[in-house]
Amino acid sequence: MSAVPAKIRAFVKQLVQLSLVDGCVSAEQVAGILEYLEKNPPANPLASLQAYHKAIAVEIAKGEARVEHAGPVTAEALAAIASALSKRYARPVSPLATANPTLLAGLRVRIGDDVYESSVAGQLAALSAAS
Amino acid sequence: MSTVLAQIESQIAKLSSKAVRKNTGVITTVADGVAKVSGLSEVMYNEMVAFPGGVIGIALNLGEDEVGCVILGDVSQLKQGDEVQTTGKLLSVPVGKGLLGRVVDALGNAVDGKGPIASSESYPVEKIAPGIMARKSVSQPLFTGIMAIDSMIPIGRGQRELIIGDRGTGKTTIAIDTIINQANINRVGLASGDPKFRPVYSIYVAIGQKNSNIVRTIAALEAAGALEFTCIVAAPAADNPANQYLAPYSGAAIGEWFMENGMDALIVYDDLSKHAVAYRQISLILKRPSGREAYPGDVFYLHSRLLERAARLDGKGSLTALPIIETLAGDVSAYIPTNVISITDGQIFLETDLFNQGIRPAVSVGLSVSRVGSAAQIKATKQVGGKLKGELAQFRELAAFAQFGSDLDAKTKAQLDRGSRIVELFKQPAFSPISIELQVVTIYALQKGYYDTADLKKVTATSVSIREFFKARQDALLTEIRTKAALDKDLEAKIVAALDAWKSTAA
Repeated sequence: MSAVPAKIRAFVKQLVQLSLVDGCVSAEQVAGILEYLEKNPPANPLASLQAYHKAIAVEIAKGEARVEHAGPVTAEALAAIASALSKRYARPVSPLATANPTLLAGLRVRIGDDVYESSVAGQLAALSAAS
Repeated sequence: MSTVLAQIESQIAKLSSKAVRKNTGVITTVADGVAKVSGLSEVMYNEMVAFPGGVIGIALNLGEDEVGCVILGDVSQLKQGDEVQTTGKLLSVPVGKGLLGRVVDALGNAVDGKGPIASSESYPVEKIAPGIMARKSVSQPLFTGIMAIDSMIPIGRGQRELIIGDRGTGKTTIAIDTIINQANINRVGLASGDPKFRPVYSIYVAIGQKNSNIVRTIAALEAAGALEFTCIVAAPAADNPANQYLAPYSGAAIGEWFMENGMDALIVYDDLSKHAVAYRQISLILKRPSGREAYPGDVFYLHSRLLERAARLDGKGSLTALPIIETLAGDVSAYIPTNVISITDGQIFLETDLFNQGIRPAVSVGLSVSRVGSAAQIKATKQVGGKLKGELAQFRELAAFAQFGSDLDAKTKAQLDRGSRIVELFKQPAFSPISIELQVVTIYALQKGYYDTADLKKVTATSVSIREFFKARQDALLTEIRTKAALDKDLEAKIVAALDAWKSTAA
């Protein structure tokens, strides 16, 4: 189904497993892997590295709660969100706040594939879809 | 009092600020009505997914890092990078009596311009067929109104009878005739006030057909007054393949509602060849491995899971299925025809040669069979038409033999003559089904030799004349045949007397 060949997929899967420490991406591990790959390039280095990049980006997104907010958000609120999500996903989650005035009011938290919508813009969109 | 209000207000505040969790993904490619989406890590197989702009899709391929979704709507507004959300719902369609007289698309949306569908219930499009314990054997008849079928290839409620033949051999006409006949029977039955009467509601699923053909079908049903008992599910050729793939399942869901609620329903899938083609198209775009004739490996399951949903349930109702398959040059041994033949409980085979000879409906009696229907045939039809299939088989054998020489003995000549008369008798124009009591009378007249004196070419006209006479003057006798459903000596005497009366008026 995917354009990435099965061999590369399996190889990248192994690399990703090696890059994780306690379920989180470790910068040291990734640096070590890149160094190893430079010295011992795989069969298709470009495709392998691109696939590795994509997979690591997905892993990083899983441990990063991107909090979009319309109004001001306190550091305590961000910490509370991060701790609640850490508990829910059973892995350390770090918050990353970005202002998004199009939300009108409220918050939108994105972690991995999941989106927690608690904004006025989201509710209005849901209302318009229901009508 | 103010504390009470404060409590309610805090409850409202809790509700309105409650975060809604959605699992999302991003479109990586869109092509040919299929979107590939990265993300959607929690999507379920066959789950509805929401694309921007209110477009709905179904997740059909769950890959390790990509999900293949068929799009059931306008793809022109979708682009790479758009966000896709899971809905947590399986695809479902509205069901109920509110669908009767309506034309809907594969998703159950009205397309006839008569406003929204009045329905409070919905059924999932994909559903596992009833199990062994829930079923009951077929024993109640479902009259098609076509003499050749009702007398020789009878169909029962809950049966799956395939209609197969080349293009332009009258497959759809048989199905439409059957729907019209159900409407005629329903009208008579409901008017009689008989509490035991069970009406049959019809569902006609048009898959990959020309819009003009669907309009013609609707017009034919409307003209015959059958639309009020019928629901039409339309997925025309202009519709995307995903809708064509889903339409039969939507129709089955609509039919299942009648079956589950103690009613009887008839569903026509017109036709499953185009359905298989639509599924092949989707499968190839989803890059599923292809097999024989480029169909995917699960093309048998595609039809078996659909047709298994037609059943007669113990203590509930029934769903009778009439799937249609179009063959190429009469080849019934092609992939899809053999699959569907093996799933169904018999087939009505229509031949181009017969059609061109003017024998319409062009039912090939030798190749057509009904595996369970004879248990459902009423006694009266068995009494008058029990030997017809054998007689016709003998006739065909003799007719082939007689082509080589003209020197035939009297017995063979008589058999040939009788066979020709039976063939003539079974000729019937389109969209004019004959009620079972009139069929009994027509065939009874054959058994008693009332057509023997008529010229061969006038047998059909004579049979029409008999039926007209009975309809006009022997209404009580016809009602008696219908209610008794078997011929006793008294009834036979009455029919003979009426036939003699007809003979005297016709002479």
